[in-house]
Parts: sequence; structure tokens; C-alpha cells
Amino acid sequence: MKSLFGWLRRRSEREEEWREEIESHVQLRQEWNEARGVPADEARRAARRQFGNTGRTLEQVRAVHVCGWVESLWQDVRYAARGFSRSPSFSIVAIATMAIGIGASTAVFSVVDRLLFRPLPYPKDSQLVSLGYFGPIDNMEFNVVASYLEWRERQKVFQSITSMRPGARCDFQAGETPQQLSCYGVEANFLKTFGIAPALGRDFRAEDDRPGAPTVILISNALWKTQFGSDPLVLGRTISLDEERVRIIGVLPKDFEMPQLDDADVLMAARLLTNRPRAANASAPLRTFARLRDGISIGQARQAMLPLFEDTVRQDAPFELRSELRLVVRSLRDRQISEVKPASWMLLGAVLALLLAACANVANLMLARAAARRRELAMRAAIGAGRGRLIRQMLTESLLLGVAGGTAGCGAAWLLLRASIRLAPEGLIRLNQARIDPRVLVFALAASFASTLLFGLTPALERPRADALAGWHAAGSIRIAVRKLLVAAQVAISLVLLSGASLFLRSFWNLESQSFGFQAEHVVTASFTLRRQRYRPPEALAAFFREIESRLQRIPGAGWFALSDSIPPRGSMGRPYSNLKIEGRPPVAAHGGMVAFRWVTPGYFRTMGIRILAGREFTEQERRGADTPLILSATLARRLFGRENPIGQRLDLDRSGRWLPVVGVAADVKNSGIAEAPDPEYYRLRGSSSQMPRSGVALFRTSLDPATLARWIRREFASIDRSVPVTVEAMATRVGRYTDRPRFVALLVTLFAAFALLLAAVGLYGVLSFLVTQQTQEIGVRMALGARPRDIALQFGRHAGVWVGWGIIAGLVGSAVANRAIKALLFEVAPTDAVSLLAAVMVLAGIAGVAVCMPSHRAARIDPLVALRHE
Amino acid sequence: MANNRDHLQGTLELLILKTLERAPNHGFGITLQVQTVSDGLLRVEEGSLYPALHRMERDKLLKGEWRLTETGRKARFYTLTAAGRQRLAEAATNWTAVSRGVDKVLRFA
Repeated sequence: MKSLFGWLRRRSEREEEWREEIESHVQLRQEWNEARGVPADEARRAARRQFGNTGRTLEQVRAVHVCGWVESLWQDVRYAARGFSRSPSFSIVAIATMAIGIGASTAVFSVVDRLLFRPLPYPKDSQLVSLGYFGPIDNMEFNVVASYLEWRERQKVFQSITSMRPGARCDFQAGETPQQLSCYGVEANFLKTFGIAPALGRDFRAEDDRPGAPTVILISNALWKTQFGSDPLVLGRTISLDEERVRIIGVLPKDFEMPQLDDADVLMAARLLTNRPRAANASAPLRTFARLRDGISIGQARQAMLPLFEDTVRQDAPFELRSELRLVVRSLRDRQISEVKPASWMLLGAVLALLLAACANVANLMLARAAARRRELAMRAAIGAGRGRLIRQMLTESLLLGVAGGTAGCGAAWLLLRASIRLAPEGLIRLNQARIDPRVLVFALAASFASTLLFGLTPALERPRADALAGWHAAGSIRIAVRKLLVAAQVAISLVLLSGASLFLRSFWNLESQSFGFQAEHVVTASFTLRRQRYRPPEALAAFFREIESRLQRIPGAGWFALSDSIPPRGSMGRPYSNLKIEGRPPVAAHGGMVAFRWVTPGYFRTMGIRILAGREFTEQERRGADTPLILSATLARRLFGRENPIGQRLDLDRSGRWLPVVGVAADVKNSGIAEAPDPEYYRLRGSSSQMPRSGVALFRTSLDPATLARWIRREFASIDRSVPVTVEAMATRVGRYTDRPRFVALLVTLFAAFALLLAAVGLYGVLSFLVTQQTQEIGVRMALGARPRDIALQFGRHAGVWVGWGIIAGLVGSAVANRAIKALLFEVAPTDAVSLLAAVMVLAGIAGVAVCMPSHRAARIDPLVALRHE
Repeated sequence: MANNRDHLQGTLELLILKTLERAPNHGFGITLQVQTVSDGLLRVEEGSLYPALHRMERDKLLKGEWRLTETGRKARFYTLTAAGRQRLAEAATNWTAVSRGVDKVLRFA
């Protein structure tokens, strides 16, 4: 760079020198003439005449020293740069517009590209499908061993079908410190189906996968690195997993991804129990994946699997569930992105709209500039600049602007991507893989270049007219029409974005302000999972819970305390509604969906702040009895008993013949995410003899801060069993995570809408200012003839009102279409919500009003005397 | 046409080299000298003199520097370099050969 400037400086010095040399020649000739007695005046004129065109000579000398085109290009660039620096506001606005358009669209596309378009990291990834039953039990398709074995046997559409057991935490003893790893049991053909081979060692073989075969494992690359120092001798070593010795046979590739995108530290052979009675296998859950045969589509595969599905669902699914289960066969990508797919498409659409608005704005600016320069171009044409030269000049200017805007855009894209990776909520899949995508960058650059070039060239393409020299802006009415159209388009685009944004904001507001059924403030949660092996005997498990409960309860200042196996707004297990039986009544309706339930201690309702609507809470005395009582959620009580009083009724929950009395009805609590209506739910009292899961959550309603309490809690856990990992968190933080994603989406869309609005305002302001300048004389005449300033301002206001009006109408039509598409993303607000639309129109009209007011006022303040002297 | 131009340029170059062989001179001096020595038969186009001088300087046949003339004016003086001298010798031989040839052809016709 430095040498370039140096070269340029030397160039201009030398240029000066050449000029001097020619000048000295002319003077020497003049001297010589004078010496021959010619009068001084005549001598000088003769000398000039004789030399001829000095400019041409200089040009030729210059041509000797540099290649001509570089020279004239440099001239153009210099000229253009000078032009831009003369109107910095134009350049800044144009460059900023491009930066926003390019930056935002590239950043967003780079994120969604990974989700929607990039191939998954498996060979021939489009052949991979996820399949299984889909029903109210799970939000993903699942399978059971019994059905799967039959599918595997009889299917004809897949090259390969494979399965994996649900992931489990397993205990890993590495030296002193116990760890919990994420372990998956997979079939022997699992990796082969995905087209993956271990990075080191061997894949599972059929004999590893037989029931009762010794456990062999593949470990993840990450685990290999952290626990074994990437030692290749790890193959064949045995380690302790769940207090069993298992042998490592291989290491997974570094970039290996589990098909459901969870982290897996260890894969072990699934060893499905093929010879168990069918009923036992019907309750063993699986996830199933397959690779399609060549030339078979997903639709065809689904059709082919339907008879099999009908067959197995009849044999394996509980009667009550049968009608609620359906067969799902979908691409692996669809399974992976099922939750974020609508949001991704929506953001992509929104940002493309923004890019469109940015291009319209750049086009508008270029046209404004073109209009302002018609005179200058006419002048240059008059003094002999060729048409080609003028076109090249305009081209250079447009390119220069494009390059500046493009550079700023790349910078903006990088910044936005960084920012969104940092700001984005956890669990947005593949976000950390997002890189600035060169294809997208090129696309966005091309779009903005095209708009600068197309509209930047118009003045040069149009034949320069002599009347432009006179300062009369007679021509260009078409261009004005184009500009009005562009402004209307910008208004329409920003209205679409604004109405989307207001819907998202309202939806987010609804999410945040809804009642969860419990009070999260001042509640601290401590969740933990016990090791499998040590707590397998029920006595050990019960002893641990007894011990930890009495210890945690004694923490000073801990306030109200409760234990549960899970906490809202999620995490409760579900059972079919139709399993429930009311004593002395006919069976309940068959298709009731799922009922959630939790095991809680008596303090649960008080601690969580859940209201008891009827009856009472559990008591400590009841825990010692054999048949512990029940509390129903309001929804469940209403469904089971209608308007009758449920208190005192007895229920059989699982056809066990044990009748449990209902002692209370609790308020409904969000239990399947915050956006879904709550499932019916019942609470069981944690007794001394109850069957309980190995994981639990301790709850405290306390005025202590979570960090202080956390120390106490950890100490109590450690004093019983050091190996139990405990996560302490404020309830509000836990709940807050559920609104992170909608908040992020609302924020992004609002940001885009604000940008689009700003661009529309700039466009509106620009066109109107231009009209005012153009009509200064006319306004002057009218004012001289007695028009009041108000009339003038109103005239412009009305003018602008028409285009804005058309823009709003187009925008409303666009919103109606676009908002229908985002319906799935909204919470308790209809896509046609009048309040949101009205708010969007108001904001738009307000901003447009400001943008219109300023130039209109300027028009009204024009002094007729000055105006008539103008130009 | 291109050949013709080359030829003319070659001629101008030869004239410049020959003029500068006697003493360093500036552009105007070269014009004057060619005109005087050729008894007004040859006249250097002033506009094309300078591009030629600069090309020859670029090609290291000449060396240019600012000096004062006898009348005390600043002018850029050109001096023949060794390469220039060599070029002059070649060009002169060449020219003599060519002009003798042309002369013969003309006389025959």
C-alpha cells in the first residue's frame, strides 16, 4: 500500500516535470523569435502555435511512461472518489445500506445454510431416513424392539436398517474421579448404515451384537483425546463402565455426529434380545434409522412400510394407544431440524426481504445522484468526452461504491455472525459450525453490485442533452416514476417485516406474561442422577433418598423444601390416559392422550407455589402408609369427574389393582413446554416403599442466593456419596431458557424490521428532497403568486402520501401472505391479529411522516426571491 | 502504415542521436540544430520530439538533466549514453545502407 502511494506521488511530480519541460521549450522558442526582432507578443503566440497541442504531447509522453488504460482508470477512480467525498452523506448512506443488506443476509444465510442446505456429514446423506411410531408419548418418532425386529426382517425398501437404544448416563471410573459419560447401545450395522468407519480400530461385528456377548465399545474422539491422550494403544484396553469391565475396540472419527445430534462418548453393541417373549420386547424403546435403496423415494418407502406398521402396531402397542400412533418416515435432516425448521425459513425470508429493501434503497440513491449529475455529464460531453468514456466513468463510480459497500458488508456479516453466535440461546443446533458462506457472500455482493450498476449507469446511457446544460430538468420523469415505485416497494417490504416483528413481539410477550401455574421466583433447584450400579438394589436407593432429604431439610435458611423426580415446565413422564380407572365406574374413554405424573414430597406444592384448588396437600404421616394418596391437576380432575367432587374418590393408575384415594386438586402447571397447553397430570406421594427413579430434583423456596445455597447442597451430597454430580440453578434461570429462543427470534426479526424501516425512511426522504430541489423555481413562482407555505408543504405531503399509501396496501397484502406462513411460530396470537397489524402500520406511518415532513417544510420555507434567482 | 511510422520514428531517433553526439542539448536546441544543419530541409515536429526523447531516455539511450542555457533559462538537457553511442553507430550504418539502396533504385528507375 505504501509503495502504491509512493508511486502515485512520484507520478504527479514527474507529470509536473514534463509540463515544465514543454513550457521551457516554448519559452526558448519565444526567446529565439524575439532575438530575431519579433515583438514580444507575437513571439510568444508564434512559439505556442508552432509547438501545437501541448496537452496532446503531454498525453503522448505520459503514454511512454505508463500503460494508458491504467492511467485513465486511475483518473476515473480519482474523479469518482472526489465526487463521493464532495457528497459524503450520499456515500455514507449508500455504503451503510449495502453493509446492512449484505451483512445481515450473509450472516443469517450462513447460519441457516447449515440447517437447511448443507449436506449432513454422512456419505449420500439424502438416502438416510429416520422412521418409527409417532404419537403423544414422545415428540420424536420412536420404535420398540418387538416391532423393529419384525420390520428389519420383512422390509424391502431399505439397503440397511439399524437401531439404537435411548442414551443413558453411565459411570466411568478413570483413576480417582468418577465421571458420567453419555453411552448409547447401537446395532452392529449402525455405523455402516451411516457410511462411517471408525478412525481407529474396528467397527462392531455381528458376534459383538449377540445377546450375552461381552461388552465392547467404541469411544468418541473427544473422549479418546481427554481421557487417553490420543494414545493409539488404547485399542484392546479395558475400562470400567457402570462397574463392569469393557474393552475398547475402536475410536470414532473426529467429526462424527450422532444422527439425533446428541453427544455420545461411548457406543456399545445394543445386543437386542431377539429371543425374549414379544410382550417384553414391546416395551423396550429404540430409535430406528435406515438407508433407502437407490431410486426409492421417502414417500415410496413410507407406502411400503405401511402394511408392516399396521401389523406391528396391532401386536405391540397398548390398545388405548393404537389409534393415536402413526408411521413416520422422514429424512434425517427433517428429524434433526424439526424444531428449528420453520424459524430458519422465516428468518431466511425476512433477511432476503431486507436485502431487497437495501437494493431498492441503493438503486434509489443512485438514481437521485444520476439526476443531480445530468448537468455535469452534459457539460463533459460538450467539451468532448466520448460516450464510452462517460459510461466507463459511471461504471467506475458504481464499482467503487459497490466495492466499498461490499467490503463494509463483509465486515458487517462477520460481526453479525460473531454477535449472533454469542447472543444466541443454547441448543440452537449447528450454530457453532456456522461460517461466512462464500457462495452467499457472492450472491449478496452481486445483488448490491447489480443495483448500483444498473441504476448508476442510467445517466450515461441516456444521450446527453443540451438542455440539461441549461439547468432545466425537463427530462427524467420516467426516472421519477421509478423512484416512487422503489419507495413504495420499500414501504411495502418494511410493512411486511414490521407486522411480522410485531406479531413475534406480541407472541413473546404472551409467552413471558402467561401464568405457568407455579411461582419461579425464590425457588432454587438442585438436580442429580445417581449411579446405576450402586443404587440398583431398591434399599440402597431408598436409603439415599431418605438420607439426603433429611440432610437437605436441615440446611439453615433453606426455607421450604421438597423433592421431586422432575419439575415443570417439562420433564414429567407420561402414561396413557386410558390406563386410569375410577373405582366403581366404567373404564374411561380410550383416546385420551397422555397423562403426566410426578413423585413428590409433601412440601412440593408450597415450595413451587402451586395452588391447591380443592382438598389438601399431602402430609408427612401419609408417607408411611402402603397406599399413598393422589393429588390431581385441575384438568385431570375435570376430565375424570366433570363437575363432581373428586375428593375421596379412588383411582387405579396402572391396572395394578391398588386403589389410591384422591385427597386434593392442584392448579394446572405448564408441563410440556411453555408454549403448549398443559397435559393432565397427577401427583404421587413419595413414600418409603415407592418405586422411584434414580434421578431427582431438590427444591428450595428460600431467600438465600443460589450460589450460597449451592455450597451447602453440594456438601450434603458429598457427605453421602461423592460421585453424585449436582446441578444447582435458580428456577427462574431454568424457566428463562425456554423463552430464550422465541426472544432471540423476536429480537432478530425486530432488528430486520427496524433496518428496513430506516431504509424506507431514507428512500422517502431522498426522493422528496430531490423533488423539492427540482421544483424550487416552480415553488418560488407559486409563492410569488400568493401560495401559502402551508399549501406548498401540504402539496408535497399529499404527494408522498400517495406512494406511501400504495406501499402500505401492497405491504398489507404481503403481510397477509407472509404472516400465514409464520403461524406455527406464534404463541396465542393469530397471524391476522389486528392489533399487531395496526401497530405496524402506525409505526410505519409515523416514521414515514417524519421523513416526509422535513423536505416538505424545507419546501415551505423557500424564499421566492432566492428561488427565482436560483440557477 | 505501422512500418512507415517505425521508419519515420527511426529517422527521428537517428537525427536526435546524431545531434547529441556533438554536445548535450535540450529539445528546442535539437529542433533548431536539425533545421540549421539540414539547411532547412528537415524540420522536427515539436509535438513528436518529446515522446521520442522520453522513450529514448526510458530505453537508456539518453540521460536527461535540468541545466541552465547560455541565456540563463532552465531547460532539460539530454546527453548521449554509451548505449546511445552504440545505437547511433548501428543506426548510421543501417541508414547509409538503406539510403544507398534507395538511391540506386531511384536512379535505375
